[in-house]
This record gives sequence, C-alpha cells and structure tokens, in this order.
Amino acid sequence: MSFFTFAWDWVTQAANWHGPGSIPHQVLAHLGYSGLSLLVAALIAIPLGIAIGHTGRGAVFVVNLANAWRAIPTLGLLILLAVLLGFSFVTWLVPLVVLAIPPILVNTYEGVAGVDRGVKDAALGAGMTGWQQVTRVEVPIAMPLILVGLRTAAIFMVATATIAAYIGLGGLGRYIVDGLASDQYGPVAGGALLVIILAVAVLALFAGLSRLIIPAGLRRQGRSE
Amino acid sequence: MAVDALDLEVPAGKTMVLVGPSGCGKTTTLRMINRLVEPTEGRVLLDGRDVRQSNPAQLRRGIGYVIQQTGLFPHRTVQDNIATVPLLDGWPRKKARARARDLLALVGLDPALAPRYPYQLSGGQQQRVGVARALAADPPVLLMDEPFSAVDPLIRASLQDELVRLQTELRKTVVLVTHDIEEAIKVGDLVALYRPDGRLAQVDAPQRLLGMPVDSYVSDFVGFDRGIRLLSFFRATGLNLRAEPIVGSDSTVAKALGAARDAGQPWILVTDSDGKPRGWLPAERLAPLADDTPLGTVPAEEFGHTFTVETDSLRAALDAALLSPAGQAIGVDSAGRVAGLLSYDQLRAAVQAAEATTKDAAGDAEQQPRSLRA
Repeated sequence: MSFFTFAWDWVTQAANWHGPGSIPHQVLAHLGYSGLSLLVAALIAIPLGIAIGHTGRGAVFVVNLANAWRAIPTLGLLILLAVLLGFSFVTWLVPLVVLAIPPILVNTYEGVAGVDRGVKDAALGAGMTGWQQVTRVEVPIAMPLILVGLRTAAIFMVATATIAAYIGLGGLGRYIVDGLASDQYGPVAGGALLVIILAVAVLALFAGLSRLIIPAGLRRQGRSE
Repeated sequence: MAVDALDLEVPAGKTMVLVGPSGCGKTTTLRMINRLVEPTEGRVLLDGRDVRQSNPAQLRRGIGYVIQQTGLFPHRTVQDNIATVPLLDGWPRKKARARARDLLALVGLDPALAPRYPYQLSGGQQQRVGVARALAADPPVLLMDEPFSAVDPLIRASLQDELVRLQTELRKTVVLVTHDIEEAIKVGDLVALYRPDGRLAQVDAPQRLLGMPVDSYVSDFVGFDRGIRLLSFFRATGLNLRAEPIVGSDSTVAKALGAARDAGQPWILVTDSDGKPRGWLPAERLAPLADDTPLGTVPAEEFGHTFTVETDSLRAALDAALLSPAGQAIGVDSAGRVAGLLSYDQLRAAVQAAEATTKDAAGDAEQQPRSLRA
C-alpha cells in the first residue's frame, strides 16, 4: 500500500475523529503551538528588523543570522532544553521561536532597508519624523517582504511543531511519534498528511492576507524605483 | 569637504540655480538649507533666522523639496502623495485631497489622475506630481535637486517651461540644482556657478554669465556658443525691418522685379491677400516670364520660419534668417502678417548693439531684498 492509502484510510477512520487525542483536537493543539511560536517570533523579529533596516545599525548581524539559519538544530535545542528545564512551556516554545525569527527578521530588514533611496529622502525632506518615516512609508513599502517572511516562518512552524510530541505534548506530531514507536504506519502517514494539508492551508491564508494588506500601488509593480 | 567658504544670498521670490560639475557641492549646499546636511561651520539663514534654531521636521514642512528620482511614495495614490505635507500638518483628509487636485491642475496634469498610483504615470507626469507635492502646503521656499535630469530632453524642456510659468504665478524663492548650464540659463533669475573645488566662480544673472564671464573657467563652462545663447535675452522689437522687396500674390512679375531691383535684393517675398507670407521667389526665375504674369501662378520656395517682432528674441530672428532660403528673416506681427524683412548684416549690427548693453542691463537683478542666505 502506498503512503496515501495508508494515510487516507487512517484519516478517514471515524474513530479517529472523536474523543481525547482525536484529529480535531490534535489539529487545534498543533495550530496553537505554531501560532503562538509565530506570534512570539513576529513580536521580536518585526520591530528588530524595522529598527535595523531603518537605522542601518546591526545589518551585519542580520546577514550572518540569515546564513546561520539553516544550521539551527531545532530538535537538538529541544532536547537540550528538556534536559535543562524539564517538560515546560518554554521547552517547546523556544526552539520554535528561534527557528521562526530569522526568516521574519531577514525579510523585514531587507524590506525596510531596501526602500528606494529617493523615497526615503523624500520622506525625510517632506518633514516626517523618524516614526512617521517608519510607519507611513518604510513599513507599508516593506509589507510584501514582511509577509513573505511571516509566511516562510509559518510554514516552518506548522512543519516543525511536530517536535512538541517528543516531550510528551500533543499536536500532529503525537501520531507520528507514537506510530513510529508502535510500528503502526497508519498514524505516521496520516499525521504527516495532515501536516502537509495544514501547510497548504497556511499558504492559502497568506495569499489572501497579501491581497488585504499589501497596498494596491505595490501589488502590480513589485518594487518601485 | 564638499562646500568651502560659501557666501550666497538668494533673493526672495527669485529662482537661484546652483550649477557646476558633479561633486562640486551644489547638492550639499541645497541640502544644508533644509538640514538634510549640517554644515560643520557657518550658518544658513532663512528669512534672517538660523535654520538650526528650528526643529528639522518642522523646518522641512515649510520648505518644498523636489528630487531627481521623484521619490514618490509607491504605496500612495497621486493625491495622497501630493497631500503628504498637509496631512503631516494635520489637515483633514478631505481638504488635503481637494488641495491635491487643485495642484494637479496647477502643474498641468489632469485631476482625474488623482486616484492613480505612481507606477501608472509616465516619468514626466511623475516629476510634475513631485513638484505638486512640494507645493502642497504653499511653502515660500522650494528646493529642487536635479528635478528634470531623469526625464527625456523633450519632456525636460516642457517641464522647464512649466517651472518658468509657475514662477511668474507663484513667485517662490527657488533654489534649483542642476549640472546643465542650458537649464540654469533657461530657468534661473540668478545662476551660481561652482568650481570643482566647491567654491563659487560667479553668481550672476544668466545674461551676465553669458556676456561677462569672470574668467576662462566660466566661459568654458557656459560654452563656445554663449554668444548665440545670449541673444535669447534680447527682444526683436527694436530691429529696423526692411519693407522691400515684398509684393502681394495678386501683383505681377514686372512689379516684383522692379521691387527687387530697387532694394538690390535677389529674393522677393510674396504675400497672400491677408498680408501673410506665401513664399520666396528668386528674381532670376521671374526674369524670363512675361511682365504681366500674375505672381500667384509662379511656384514659390517655402518661406520656412518667421519670428514675431513683438514677442520673439534676437535668437529667434537669427534662427529665422539661417533657415530661410533667401537668407532673410521674415518678421511678422501677432496676427502672422508680414511686418518686414531682416538681413544678416542688420542682425549682426543688432547683436553687437545688444552685447554692448549687456554690461548695464544685467545689473538690476542683484538689487533684491534678501531672504535666504546660504
């Protein structure tokens, strides 16, 4: 039997849709871990990216972070924290946030720093204060890139929140970890399929969000000169 | 050091053009006025007040600023771009947008462009929007940094004309930076020419810069054709036009040849029944024809350019003479009727007389009340 037959049979079993540990329950938990990590990461990375992009101070740090990102050992970090702190809230949140910060930070920074020099000069010359330059000009113009960063991070969160199961928590990782432990291929394939579906749903959500948030003047032309 | 020991005074309501090679500090000078650059020593006085006594943001809202790359905000509509400073000043949005539409008309754009986005406009239109944005809060001072350099030459010329027209209407104190001496001479009441080391070579009215360059640097910079360009500053009204040989097309070959003989000219200008030019006829073409042949039946040469005596400059008259098959400029009145003819010799005499007056004529531009001291 193929992956999809395993996955489909398991996902469509009525028994898996009721009671504690059921699919709706774990999907919600999974979204909870992903959403909370993304939120915390965004609250740190967006203001930091704006500040670095606006002032130009700390740009080297951002570039290095972008390079180091691929090497972050999320699972290793989780296990380290589990050993140090036990199975707490921080134990699963920190690795996920650490993973989500770089794409948001780098894209926010690139978006703000990449605003056309003439546009920045005009904003300054028109008599905008630093805060007004940021809120009225730089962030709106950087919005397409900020959303790209958030989208990348969100997909990583959905894919990686499975690790919460390693420390005894819920989420879709529960099926995968337990299935592997008990040699049951059904829940492993089913859990993976659900993760894929959630990731696609996140993509769709961001496509919709782009339409709502990106100013019309930026949508057709990409970057202006 | 980009600018050194600069002492420059911009009269209120006048256009001062800062011109020079790149890196000479003209842009730095401009940016010191609205504190985008702070001088290491010295002062910039605006209406007698040191600009460093003002809060930078407040100061800049009172000074219009136009840049080469337009710097339009891509995420904002044309009307919201123009309304930038009024909105910063706390105008209600409705009033600011109404003002923006008025300004679109002022800079020669269709107010229907108001809800468009910058990327939907041509380069020339974007630059006009940039000017409208700078004018939105009606600042007394306008700073323009290479405002027309990024658009193609044809559009550039029309934008320059537009600026000159706007200035006759608005009388702002304008400081404009350019590397283009033609532009400086065209739009400036005063031109400040920089040396490459950031010092001023000459500050003068354009015709004085052309007519009385202080040294070879200035004369080289304004160009070898400065004599011809100087002619733009002299009206053609004072010229003594010849009335011969001009004949109507209802006249005959005999009369035309008689007129040519009397004037000693090989070309005869034929006019139509309204007195407007119809074409040039060479006397030798008429000689073999019967005396009573009506001139209207003889094919004539194109008369080419004319110049309008009341409004055109000597340069237009010279152009008309150069492009005429007869080597004669046709002067017309405002209705297009022939007022008279002008030969090279007459033009040369007029040009020499004009150059002789340059020394006195240009002096009056300097006696203006001070407003901006940089």
